[in-house]
Amino acid sequence: MGKLLRALLFSLVGAGLVHIAVVLLVPYYSDRNAWSRISAYGGDWQFHTVAREGTPGNVPLAIDPLFQAAACRFDITDLPAHITGVGTTPYWSISIYNRQGENIYSINDRTAIADQLDLVVATPLQMIELNKTKPAAAENSVLIEADMDEGFVVVRSFVPDDSWRSQVNAFLKSTSCTPLL
Amino acid sequence: MLRNVFLALITLVIAFGGGTLSAWYVVTRFDGFGALSIGQWTSHPEAGTPFSDPYAKARAAREGAFPLGSTEGLAFYAYNDDQGRTLDRQCSYKIEGNSPNSRFWTLYATDRRLTALSPGTDRLPAIHSRQIFRKEDGAFMVSVSPKAQPGNWLATTGTGRMVLVMTLYDTPVGSNSGLVDMKFPAVTRISCDG
Repeated sequence: MGKLLRALLFSLVGAGLVHIAVVLLVPYYSDRNAWSRISAYGGDWQFHTVAREGTPGNVPLAIDPLFQAAACRFDITDLPAHITGVGTTPYWSISIYNRQGENIYSINDRTAIADQLDLVVATPLQMIELNKTKPAAAENSVLIEADMDEGFVVVRSFVPDDSWRSQVNAFLKSTSCTPLL
Repeated sequence: MLRNVFLALITLVIAFGGGTLSAWYVVTRFDGFGALSIGQWTSHPEAGTPFSDPYAKARAAREGAFPLGSTEGLAFYAYNDDQGRTLDRQCSYKIEGNSPNSRFWTLYATDRRLTALSPGTDRLPAIHSRQIFRKEDGAFMVSVSPKAQPGNWLATTGTGRMVLVMTLYDTPVGSNSGLVDMKFPAVTRISCDG
């Protein structure tokens, strides 16, 4: 009887340990996280339309049906990323995510300078350089310091009704995501 | 001897099986700690940020969603009506009251994985605050039903459970300044066809 109780106690403690280990390891071993979804869209340093239906191996995306979005992944180890876009829409916003898909910075059209999408994502070291001499291309950009290497941005825009669709698509098409030389 | 081996095997099976199953259940069903609940509406302001807890992180890694940032907006989910019954896609509901401060909001119905339902051609998949009719005092009433309704109508389709999602865009609700008026509309069941 004592042996059985001891076995039960061990199994419960073991189950607890396994539970904690699994929960902590899921973010590192999941093959259907935001990064794999975005990698399936295509190459890096360019914007891709965010699809609602799931790519093979990914579940459908939980996104507001009244929004259109575009996403771009980049690696700022060598050069900062420069993200721009031109156009007028009822509302747009942009989020910067790290490799784990965590939202580390976001702005919307009201917090941007002159309602224009123009921002630079740089590592702390690159930021020191940027503050010393700002390249002419990034004169009016919002500078964002992010301590990361790989990451991605998602630009989304509100489509109140179908009459706005072409204008919003034009805005999302105008977005570009390039290394800042 | 054989009994000891048997006990050891049982222990291992319970430890690995129970640990994995409970982890799987929690990751697919549990949204994480730090929920912000007002009436029937729940939100997780810290979900999808580096400050979220391990359960929310594990769940986010399985969903692969692009969570909204704090300056973008905040999504609130309603799983139950005001009587505590789960929301059913075949039932009619009314959402009545006022909304917290935001630039605009959208409202739509989803399945349990939070994918928006598509109500079919020529029906709006969602309604938003800039297109709805309001009463004199600014309050609104939205009918959520599979059948056509007068006024503000959010069409649903199919069978099974549903979740109502109200996303506030450009809102101070997520910040804990305490200065925000937290008024949320109530979800009330009117009738059920099933």
